Amino acid sequence: MRDNKEAAIATRMDDHIISVRGLKKHYKGGAIKALDGIDTDIARGEVVVVIGPSGSGKSTFLRSLNMLEIPSCGEIFVNGVDIVGKGVNINQHRQKMGMVFQHFNLFPHMTILKNMTLAPMKLLKKSREEAEAKAMELLEVVGLADRATSYPSQLSGGQKQRIAIVRALCMEPDVMLFDEPTSALDPEMVGEVLDVMKKLARDGMTMIVVTHEMGFAREMADRVIFMDAGVIVEEGTPAEIFDAPKSERLQSFLAKVL
Amino acid sequence: MQEWFADFKADFQLNFIDDGRWRWIVQGLGNTLKITLFSLLIGIALGIMVAAVRSTYDKNKEAMSKHKGAGYHLFTVVNAICKLYLTVIRGTPVVVQLLIMYFIIFATSRNDVMIAVIAFGINSGAYVAEILRGGIMSIDNGQFEAGRSLGFNYVQTMIYIIIPQVFKSVLPTLCNEFIVLLKETSIAGYVGIVDLTKAGDLIRGRTFSAFMPLIAVALIYLVLVVVLSALVGKLERRLRKSER
Ligand SMILES: Nc1ncnc2c1ncn2[C@@H]1O[C@H](COP(=O)(O)OP(=O)(O)OP(=O)(O)O)[C@@H](O)[C@H]1O
Ligand SMILES: [Mg+2]
Repeated sequence: MRDNKEAAIATRMDDHIISVRGLKKHYKGGAIKALDGIDTDIARGEVVVVIGPSGSGKSTFLRSLNMLEIPSCGEIFVNGVDIVGKGVNINQHRQKMGMVFQHFNLFPHMTILKNMTLAPMKLLKKSREEAEAKAMELLEVVGLADRATSYPSQLSGGQKQRIAIVRALCMEPDVMLFDEPTSALDPEMVGEVLDVMKKLARDGMTMIVVTHEMGFAREMADRVIFMDAGVIVEEGTPAEIFDAPKSERLQSFLAKVL
Repeated sequence: MQEWFADFKADFQLNFIDDGRWRWIVQGLGNTLKITLFSLLIGIALGIMVAAVRSTYDKNKEAMSKHKGAGYHLFTVVNAICKLYLTVIRGTPVVVQLLIMYFIIFATSRNDVMIAVIAFGINSGAYVAEILRGGIMSIDNGQFEAGRSLGFNYVQTMIYIIIPQVFKSVLPTLCNEFIVLLKETSIAGYVGIVDLTKAGDLIRGRTFSAFMPLIAVALIYLVLVVVLSALVGKLERRLRKSER
């Protein structure tokens, strides 16, 4: 299974859904270099896990990919289009990039179903029936179909995050971005969210995941990126990163988190 | 006791019945309500516009400054004007604003009530704007980001996601602002408008009996405010309940 997928990715290595070139993000006139030159390519169907110490720029990198952070310089090609460039309809690009946040960010004034159908109806111009059918189908997959008419405040953290994931999936994105999706959860709820993400990965979704869950990285990642001080220090397969770390910074990071 | 009651009756007769003086009270109350209501409408309209400009500017200045165009510069100017408006209006007493409106800006107009409506409307617009902006800013930025990451543009995010939440959180504060406005209009007498306060004072000047007309005026304000506050309280409880 794993070998098949790797082979599939290898043959499509030229098929990059995202290419990042010289990406920098500076704050305070350059005093803070959150990102200091990132170059990487993400293949279609690839699962990339980003790890690194706090403040290393993981969130900034992820959020740059859908322009929630505006890069100071550099290029981000998504399906061949530089989304940093002038005259790009960023809203259209974001429709194809799902994002899952640490704090879920469900809309508290809407039911679960409304949370999930709002964007497909308003942006994809789906009919209510169509949007609700798709939402119910996804709710079924994550085992929350019975919560369709609940409000977010009536759900547990793990349930909220599963809803946040399927809300993004309702837009049928090409890529899913996850920024520490399990960091705000009680330990006993981490598993249920990771299970949904694993399912998604196995279904071939392109995923970029910032996480401290090294188990998930080891099991699911096609590639692990280790960031520190705004740059990619080391990247490779989970085996390369976890079992044979080359750089001293990665070694000391792993010593702390494993 | 009997004596006191007779005195009270005579006083009442003198202040409200003789010469139909109660008509002043009615006319004054009418003007007070008219000024409050219309300046409220102006205040809301103005407040929404200014809050929209201010918070849109704050939320988007980074994105806009990336590709500085003519629109960006125009927006910067409009934002600066809004800021100046807020500073001036909130930094000067409303009485002074009313006097300036009456004796300088509209010196040639004799439509006193309209001038008062404009003065109070412009004044309350500044406070409404800040209440709304505070409401918008108090919504977790994650809500904006969730909306934007789904592909909604700024305006859609505001309309579908932010405004409904802001509306719920600021409605009680806004209502209280209008109660304050009702009381504030009592300075309309400064420019010769017979509002409720002025009516009481006019009667006092005629009858040389201060107690009855002034207490009556105070009671009318009090009843209005208590009733409005009760309605706001009811609204607040309703909103809380729907929050689950
Ligand atoms: N708005 C901002 N203004 C100034 N500095 C910022 C801003 N946002 C982020 N930074 C800085 O940029 C650096 C990278 O931040 P980022 O949030 O990307 O780190 P991270 O790797 O996601 O960390 P964590 O694991 O704590 O989430 C940090 O030093 C942070 O302080
Ligand atoms: Mg982070």
